[in-house]
Amino acid sequence: MIMRGALVDPVMASAPSGLWRDALRRLRRNRLAMIGVACMTLFFAAAILAPVIAPYASNDMSGPSLSGPSAAHLFGTDLLGRDVFSRVLYGAQISLFVGVFAVVLALIIGTTFGAIAGGYGGRVDGIIMRATDVLLSIPTILLAIGIVTWLGQGLPQLVLAIAVGYAPVFARLLRGSLLALREADYVIAARTIGGSNSRILMRHMLPNALTPLIVQATLVLATAIIDIAGLGFLGLGPADPRTPEWGTMLVDARRFMQTAPHIVFFIGGAIVISAIGFNLLGDGLRESLDPKLKR
Amino acid sequence: MTEKSATPVSAGHLLTVSDLTVRFRSHGEAVYAVNGVSFDLDAGETLGVAGESGCGKSVTNLAILGLLPQPAGRVEAGSVQLSGRELTTLREEELRKVRGSEIAMIFQDPMTSLNPVLRIEEQLIETIRAHRDVTVQAARERAIELLVAVGVANPESRLRSYPHEFSGGMRQRVMIAMALALEPRILIADEPTTALDVTIQAQVLDLLRRLTAERGTATILVTHDLGVLAGMADRINVMYAGKVIESGTTEELFAHPRHPYTVGLLRSIPRLDGEAGGKLVPIEGRPPDLVAEPVGCSFYARCAWRQERCALEAPALVQIDGGTQPIVTTGAGATHVAACFNPVAQAEVAEGRPAAGRR
Amino acid sequence: MSGQRLLQVKDLEVRFPIREGLIRERTVAEVRAVDGVSFEVAKGEILGLVGESGCGKSTVARAITRVVKPTHGSIEFDGHDLAKAEGEELHALRRRVQMIFQDPYASLNPRMTVGAIIQEPADIYKVGTTAERRARVSELLGLVGLDPRFADRYPHEFSGGQRQRIGVARALALNPDLVVADEPVSALDVSVQAQILNLLAELRQQLGLAYLFIAHDLSVVRHISDRTAVMYLGKIVEVAPSIELNAAPLHPYSIALLSAVPIPDPAIEKKRKRIILKGDVPSPTNPPSGCGFQTRCWLKEKLGNPERCSTESPVLRETSSGHQVACHFPEKA
Repeated sequence: MIMRGALVDPVMASAPSGLWRDALRRLRRNRLAMIGVACMTLFFAAAILAPVIAPYASNDMSGPSLSGPSAAHLFGTDLLGRDVFSRVLYGAQISLFVGVFAVVLALIIGTTFGAIAGGYGGRVDGIIMRATDVLLSIPTILLAIGIVTWLGQGLPQLVLAIAVGYAPVFARLLRGSLLALREADYVIAARTIGGSNSRILMRHMLPNALTPLIVQATLVLATAIIDIAGLGFLGLGPADPRTPEWGTMLVDARRFMQTAPHIVFFIGGAIVISAIGFNLLGDGLRESLDPKLKR
Repeated sequence: MTEKSATPVSAGHLLTVSDLTVRFRSHGEAVYAVNGVSFDLDAGETLGVAGESGCGKSVTNLAILGLLPQPAGRVEAGSVQLSGRELTTLREEELRKVRGSEIAMIFQDPMTSLNPVLRIEEQLIETIRAHRDVTVQAARERAIELLVAVGVANPESRLRSYPHEFSGGMRQRVMIAMALALEPRILIADEPTTALDVTIQAQVLDLLRRLTAERGTATILVTHDLGVLAGMADRINVMYAGKVIESGTTEELFAHPRHPYTVGLLRSIPRLDGEAGGKLVPIEGRPPDLVAEPVGCSFYARCAWRQERCALEAPALVQIDGGTQPIVTTGAGATHVAACFNPVAQAEVAEGRPAAGRR
Repeated sequence: MSGQRLLQVKDLEVRFPIREGLIRERTVAEVRAVDGVSFEVAKGEILGLVGESGCGKSTVARAITRVVKPTHGSIEFDGHDLAKAEGEELHALRRRVQMIFQDPYASLNPRMTVGAIIQEPADIYKVGTTAERRARVSELLGLVGLDPRFADRYPHEFSGGQRQRIGVARALALNPDLVVADEPVSALDVSVQAQILNLLAELRQQLGLAYLFIAHDLSVVRHISDRTAVMYLGKIVEVAPSIELNAAPLHPYSIALLSAVPIPDPAIEKKRKRIILKGDVPSPTNPPSGCGFQTRCWLKEKLGNPERCSTESPVLRETSSGHQVACHFPEKA
């Protein structure tokens, strides 16, 4: 080698550690985030394993009407004698399906527009940002109600309604990060070595704008689950009223608050646990992914 | 050999820091920030503290003022005495009275220590009135006097300004005015000119020198810039990895540096009056990570003068040439001490590396 | 000047408009960041560019590396005008002019491995096969004094000095002719500064590089550069061989600047006479008339405020071979 003299630093003792691995290590130390992970695991397990765990099919009239919790019916039964435990499990499937698809769709729409606005700037940026301002000024739930009323009820419509509501959040977030990153030294460095605009956007800017998006997506998922239930509660849930959607189930159960309060309790509990789970995880991710909080 | 820390604490020093030890603990990890720092300070003296980032120079000052970030930072041993009064055990309310009125501090970035939403006037008057029982009018007059003293033109109209309306140099002047508002006995200036341009730095240093001399304020001047210390300090403590590794009068330290780190610092900076194009002698490697409990001499890994012994045993801060006179810790006759088993010989200083056959 | 000319900057101007207005933006003022700068760099030469914050030295760096487009003037680089080049021509020129940044923490993409960062220039210009590119990464790491095994690590695992070495390796990847170093050591600890300065000097020797070395620290610039240009308020006020500039500065600003630099020697410090400039640097949106330095000039005051200083902007003229100064009364200083 050309350089003479001693190497300046000895090989570092620790094994190579990626940023993600570091973040994961920090996340593990965060107790609240771990509670979030536990809640989420419960939620995912319920949704994915519903057909295996659930003792009955979601619309099986398997017991007496409005019976309390028992060995045969862990969460009791509803008016039609359907097993609430099984319906909560299948409900998780719906929430997960609609929530995840809605957030993914919102991410796709939002990041596309955000990347265009933040990556190109100028007039395009102005137009996109005014449009998001308009969308953001309408409450998400109101926007969703409008869309569902317009397109009719059904799970795909629900997905779209919620996605449209949250896409501007992602668009604005990504645009902000990209604008800041445009002046980052390593982005300027990439320009001075002749990197094309698309290369700079894809390799240098987007990967570094990702963490706030991940955090936000987790937090939005929590809100989305509540929104889905809210829409169901307003009667704008799935087209088939027998679908075990948490919001729809809650409306039915509400009528028997006095006689069978446990039904409301278990459904409400399921909503709360999943929403809190994503919220805690989102907060934990924010802390562990922020390089500034690194020692 | 006489150890400095072993000498009895002589009464009558304005400030006596002895064996100060500060740790930061969080998430089960400890940072060994300050590891037994001792020094004395007398009225009218300027003590320079030299060292690189992370050497503990700023943490020492924060510990003196009881401003360590909570709850992670704690003084785990040692004492800080202001005219014989112990500061480390004072309660917050009492400390608050000490801060500002007896010991004041100026920081590198004045923007972080000035409140951006308050006018200069409100901040100055508030500072004065918090410690002195005077009317708003009297405090205002005093504030104008102070701004004049630090060379702010049109002080009356400038009092109505917000911090962001000042340039960096002017802000630092306002900070100095604020620090001197209560005629403190000690001024701690932590990298006061590092963020400033060199011509502005000259203005601010000139001001500091003049004001502290006029008032007989004892000053602790912390900076990584040895040039600034050469012109400002009476004595210098060189710090490394949370310890004072060499101390002496400015003349003595620059003329006869004995610790390899001090020599390294002096030889690694290009000098305006130096031989042009000459090769610098860098200190290889990087400062130690203070998360590990220090064993042996903390400069060991980077030291060209190291011996086997240095890896295991931490050298004490002692008089190098085995002098028998009692150690003097302050003033123009302060004893030159260094913490090194194999100190640099005078002939090696110019080269910045050990003479052949020394290792 | 000795040697073949590599870069010639002529009347370079960079102005940034300040825009206002909610719907229809209009330009309300202009920041004259660089206001008519001319200089040359020879092959293999190091030209130091010093000045205080806001004097426009970093904007000069950004104009030459074409991060910003100059408003006016030319940047002749080996027969091409960098100021006007676009598309393919600019892409080809970028290869030969590379940059080293001030902040070693901000200049490396935290999501890329060190190997990927150093390899990226070769990827962009499609130099060699994948295996060759990888070998080149190892070679470059060795060249800057790092262990080639570090290639699969991420930047955050390195110290400031090591990161700066990585930045240097990236700048050298395409064998450039000119390296623009913008404050390459000012964010580093003093003990580490010397490592990087030595490295840069050594690389120049080995590779015949030319540097435009930008810094606010005169001692550093004097140490490393063959010639030094002093900037004030968007203009170059003096250029001279570094040794000469320090021994016999002519411009009143250079004289004040040099006198303000502390020297780490108490005996010298005691004897030095400092010229302490009054006030702050004027705003580049509204520079003073005539000479830019006249609002703070001690010489103007000493000469009884000659009118010429406030009416006529002094041009950079040669007083002796290789020594240029922009002052009406340099002989009086």
